[in-house]
Amino acid sequence: MKAITRFRIRPFHVWVGLLSLLMLTGAVAGGIVITQGLSVTNLTDLVPWGLWITIDLSAIALSAGAFLLCAAVYILGLKRFQPLARTATFIGLVGYSMAVLTLMLDIGRPDRFWHALIYWNTHSLLWEVTMCVTLYLTVLALETAPIFGQTPWMQRRFPKLAARMTGLHHYAPYFAIVGLGLSMLHQSSLGATYGVLKARPIWYRPDLSVLFMFSAIVGGPALTLLVTQLSGRLTPRAFVDERLVSRLMTFIGWALVGYIYFRFWDALSMTYTYEPGRTEALRMLTRGQLAFNFWMGEILLGAVVPAAILLVPRLRRVFPLQIAALALIVGGVIAYRWDVNMAGQLVILTYLPQGIKAVYTQYLPSLVEIASGAGIIAYGAMAVTLAVRYLNLVDHRQEGTAEALEPVLGAAD
Amino acid sequence: MEPKTLNRRDFLKVLAFGSAVAGGLQLARGTAASETGGSSPHRWVMVIDQAKCIGCGFCTLACRANNDTPPEISWNRVLEAGKVGDKPVFLPRPCQHCEHAPCVEVCMVGASYRRPDGIVMMDYDKCIGCRYCEVACPYGARAFNWKEFDDPNPAVPAWGSPEVPRRPRGVVEKCSFCYQRIDRGLTLGLVPGVDEEATPACVVACPVGARKFGDLNDPESEVSRLLREYPSYQLREDLGTMPRVYYLPAREEVES
Repeated sequence: MKAITRFRIRPFHVWVGLLSLLMLTGAVAGGIVITQGLSVTNLTDLVPWGLWITIDLSAIALSAGAFLLCAAVYILGLKRFQPLARTATFIGLVGYSMAVLTLMLDIGRPDRFWHALIYWNTHSLLWEVTMCVTLYLTVLALETAPIFGQTPWMQRRFPKLAARMTGLHHYAPYFAIVGLGLSMLHQSSLGATYGVLKARPIWYRPDLSVLFMFSAIVGGPALTLLVTQLSGRLTPRAFVDERLVSRLMTFIGWALVGYIYFRFWDALSMTYTYEPGRTEALRMLTRGQLAFNFWMGEILLGAVVPAAILLVPRLRRVFPLQIAALALIVGGVIAYRWDVNMAGQLVILTYLPQGIKAVYTQYLPSLVEIASGAGIIAYGAMAVTLAVRYLNLVDHRQEGTAEALEPVLGAAD
Repeated sequence: MEPKTLNRRDFLKVLAFGSAVAGGLQLARGTAASETGGSSPHRWVMVIDQAKCIGCGFCTLACRANNDTPPEISWNRVLEAGKVGDKPVFLPRPCQHCEHAPCVEVCMVGASYRRPDGIVMMDYDKCIGCRYCEVACPYGARAFNWKEFDDPNPAVPAWGSPEVPRRPRGVVEKCSFCYQRIDRGLTLGLVPGVDEEATPACVVACPVGARKFGDLNDPESEVSRLLREYPSYQLREDLGTMPRVYYLPAREEVES
């Protein structure tokens, strides 16, 4: 054993220290929110959904790697992606728990969060989302149980429990089916949450649910790969199979092309007629205060540039470019969620009889909102960091053991 | 531990069991979540005559006192809405009590619900404060309790005294057509819209008689007569929400 005096500060310690600091400030800010109420935010009756909702939406979208990769491995039978599915599932668990934490800050009565499970209004998109998220969190917990069960510590201390947790892996194909169904439902329903509101013309269109689904399909695997590649480079505890990563990057690249296609027609179709509220909001996106976010964050840097990098093998092989592409996709998904949420609230319609006019509102998150939001993001980063170090989260050496559904659903591998 | 396998039949069993439990829960819950079922002989509507309204805001103050809302929340707002000739026109805006209320549709816990008589209600014990209804309402009729209201109400006692409990921090609130006055009045044999104690506080407080309240199912009620005799409109009719608040537009010939 090495003596403790040999301790040196490494980048890992700085990283963990920074995250701890952010989590600490986040906890203090969260405490202020819980005790003082939402008056400490910059939210108003005109802009009731702000930064936290963006974090919530983004966390769910970026967790989509879990259901996608599990479906690929256990339903389509692409077994060699199993180690990536393992990483994605853990990221999913962390992401959804981040979403739940953010919502607990955002709702006015966090003590009543369980009402959504008891009192049902089946007409409400948010009811459906809540049910799906709750059920899917359960699925994710079951799917990630083997990761915890496989740790030497668990196997030493609680051998029976560890064996039982690891054994859950045999049900993985069934979890994958349920997870796929639940995810398809709520990922698109989150878009529909906005899309069904006739009072907000920029939201009121069928494409939102499709685009939310599509951007999640792009963003989820991108975050999975970002974590994988960074771990592979930064720690000797991660083992990455570049062929797997390369395959998935091609998929993400093509999915991005599809996303750009849908996004293009979605935006273009709104430009042909003047519609009060919608036209003003679109102008705000393309030329107004959200324009930088839209053109740079969402379109150019968030989609076009990373698609080019990921689809050109010569560019993709340059490691910094690859990391930049994956990070840009993640940023693009967040920018998209922010823009959607804000565009419908920064432009609102009057109801005066002499003419329906667009009126502009304002929102910038308060310091408490930012600090608590950053704390939640830091928690997510910390959980993934520790899992890479102690739970063997990124390890492409092991082969999958669970059987995929063979006869009907199995595709040629 | 022996590795267990789950065959397709077992999986279907689990699925069937799960659905049965979910369905059972739904049945056990009954129709408690949104009391939209049932019928009522009444159909309460409000008629606001913009030709008479002088924008004094008494309605807002009476509402604040009777419903005990904090000064920064107005269930009933009075807006300026242009001019007819050189006279300003006002638009008082209570909750529109829509027949197809977006807030009721989107509320995930059924805290917003519609009574058979058409009043869109809030169950303050159910509301979790997600504010989806605020985002969905086209009329900005909803207000969130961003902070606790524990100061004395400045509108009390000059404009009336509270008839309903204060709402806690963290829930959304809105105009209820003073359901407490209507319900109490009906049990006492009074007629809402005719007898003051059974009529919404804003209608009673209006010094120029610009607001009328009553039962649209009763052809003899004043609201029925007004809507028969005068052209009227509703706010944002294009949205198909079918509000229960009707406006008589400002007309040149009527002098207040």
